[in-house]
Amino acid sequence: MGLRQSGEAADRDLLKVNGLTLDYATIDQRVRVLENVSLHVKKGEILGVVGESGSGKTTLGLSIIGLLDSPPADIISGSITFEGKDLLKMDHADLSQLRGPGIGMVFQEALAALNPVYRTDAQLKESIEVLRRAQKLNLSAKDETKMMIETLTDLRLDKPEWVMTKYPHELSGGMRQRLSIAMAIVEKPKLLILDEVTTGLDVYVQNRILGILKDLNRRTGTAMMFITHDLTVASQISDRLYVMYAGRVMERGGTEHILNAPLHPYTQKLFAAIPHGFVDSPPLPAPTGEAPDLRTLPSGCKFHPRCPFVMHKCKETEPPVFETEGERSALCWLLEKK
Amino acid sequence: MSNIIEVNNLTVSFIVRGGNLLLFERGSGMMSVVDDVSFHVREGETFGLAGETGSGKSIIAWVLVGLFRPRSGSVKLLGKEINFRKKADVRYLRQNVGIVFQDPVGSLNPRLRVKEIVREALVASKTFDRRDYDSRIEETIDLVGLRKSSLGAYPRELSGGEKQRVSLARAIAVPRKMLVLDEPTSSLDVSVQAQVLNTLKELKSKLHLSYFFITHDINVMKYMSDSLGILYYGKLLEVGRTYDVVTNPKHPFTVRLMSNVPGLKRAEHQQEEDLGDRGSSPTGCVYSRVCPHVFDKCSNSPAMFSLGSDHFAACFLHDK
Repeated sequence: MGLRQSGEAADRDLLKVNGLTLDYATIDQRVRVLENVSLHVKKGEILGVVGESGSGKTTLGLSIIGLLDSPPADIISGSITFEGKDLLKMDHADLSQLRGPGIGMVFQEALAALNPVYRTDAQLKESIEVLRRAQKLNLSAKDETKMMIETLTDLRLDKPEWVMTKYPHELSGGMRQRLSIAMAIVEKPKLLILDEVTTGLDVYVQNRILGILKDLNRRTGTAMMFITHDLTVASQISDRLYVMYAGRVMERGGTEHILNAPLHPYTQKLFAAIPHGFVDSPPLPAPTGEAPDLRTLPSGCKFHPRCPFVMHKCKETEPPVFETEGERSALCWLLEKK
Repeated sequence: MSNIIEVNNLTVSFIVRGGNLLLFERGSGMMSVVDDVSFHVREGETFGLAGETGSGKSIIAWVLVGLFRPRSGSVKLLGKEINFRKKADVRYLRQNVGIVFQDPVGSLNPRLRVKEIVREALVASKTFDRRDYDSRIEETIDLVGLRKSSLGAYPRELSGGEKQRVSLARAIAVPRKMLVLDEPTSSLDVSVQAQVLNTLKELKSKLHLSYFFITHDINVMKYMSDSLGILYYGKLLEVGRTYDVVTNPKHPFTVRLMSNVPGLKRAEHQQEEDLGDRGSSPTGCVYSRVCPHVFDKCSNSPAMFSLGSDHFAACFLHDK
């Protein structure tokens, strides 16, 4: 029974990152950006990856889709498997076949991600071209237009025919972001990596985009990896959460579990830093000190200089991953069973 | 309690040539980006202004430091009405009102060191003797929670939170009555945001400041402001004490805004209705295009209806 279950669980994993360790190396310096990062995305789930600036979340996303330049990126160890195939061992041609129809990515800055001299229809046509080549489809111009309109309608863009004739600068921020999502989903990816797609948009547009993504996930079963620095956004959309700090996964678990009872002191501090209450509330119990500098990380646990529960052990040895019940784990000595 | 600043029927217009089809389908003319807005900031308090992107929040901020001239309406600082055409009046306004801009990268000169950035404010104000500059700069840097070692640093060598603190130092280097804070933490990580918000609250009581605080984050708004106003396409829809507006919103837009506050929860139901683009019809209530309660009266422009203690909403549902 136990065996069968784990076999099934492995089957349900669309993406598996195992012990990924990555450096950015320049002539005079070598900085560890990711350290032993393991993560899996199950079929059809929305996974949230939360972390502050410099925690390595974007690097993680880029390494999965194979967009990191090497040099400076240097993968020391680990593997990235997508549908059983090791992406790190794949050659360039196979990888570019996989990008788009296999794994799609939407970037933070929609304006920078879109070509300013292309109109919407031309932008989308580029994506469809990739799909057509990868799957050797026979598409007429009429089919293509139909696909584009369908995708734009899926993203609840009001007048798709009108949007099709517009340049990026003629669209609003929310429309642009939806267009860049459209470019990814028109290729029907199995996994969609979304890097800070709601950052910089106001609450409304943000809510609307989250709703659209969730709806898309339910209808088509597209698995998503939602990278964000915003805990509230991540908690609204994701089934499971990974919390990153200094290039490490500090805690992982079901969203509800983490929200109700965060295990790692860093996660607890992160929750406490979200403003709540009215103007007469006490000061926010923010984590003291500064975000870690990856060039000069502290010894032992990387959070120990800011941790309220720091023990002698934390300063000396970095904690291993402690698993707890319900597929949860955290990188913290507090969880060590005495 | 007296008012630091009083704004009455403020209207700011832009001249439009040709017209951008996305925004409005008209030829050249005037377009009011802030339309008949009135509010006041009480001494020692924080007035928060919330609204979507493009609602005109920053325009009001810029008027308050004399960067934009209103088309009509009045701005009174400590009871004195500001004539924006008079240099001396604008100067008086800028002496007393400091500003922290939203973008910490764009608002700091990349070729100046931190101490030079702060010094610029002192030079411009002419309230300090040249010999006192250095001690004043050090004092200010210390107040905003920056280390002395950062005085010689260039903006690019600082983190986002530190840059915003430099911006803050520049704003308070000259003693002010009020600070205009235009989304001071929206580009920061949540833990850095918390530190900066704590510093802001501390400074306010230490230096007896009042704040005009702009944000689109309702959690931050609740935590920071005593009173707040909700701006929508240049119109103030609701204004009142923060507690009243948050717990008992009256305007349909505010009701929706408050029910949408992102919290730490799995949101099962997302609001998905489209607000659409700015309408081409300037007549009537600006919210009527998407309002679920729209009725015949809404084709007129609603006045601010009083709802009791300092609470107003621009909605005909409250016309009694």
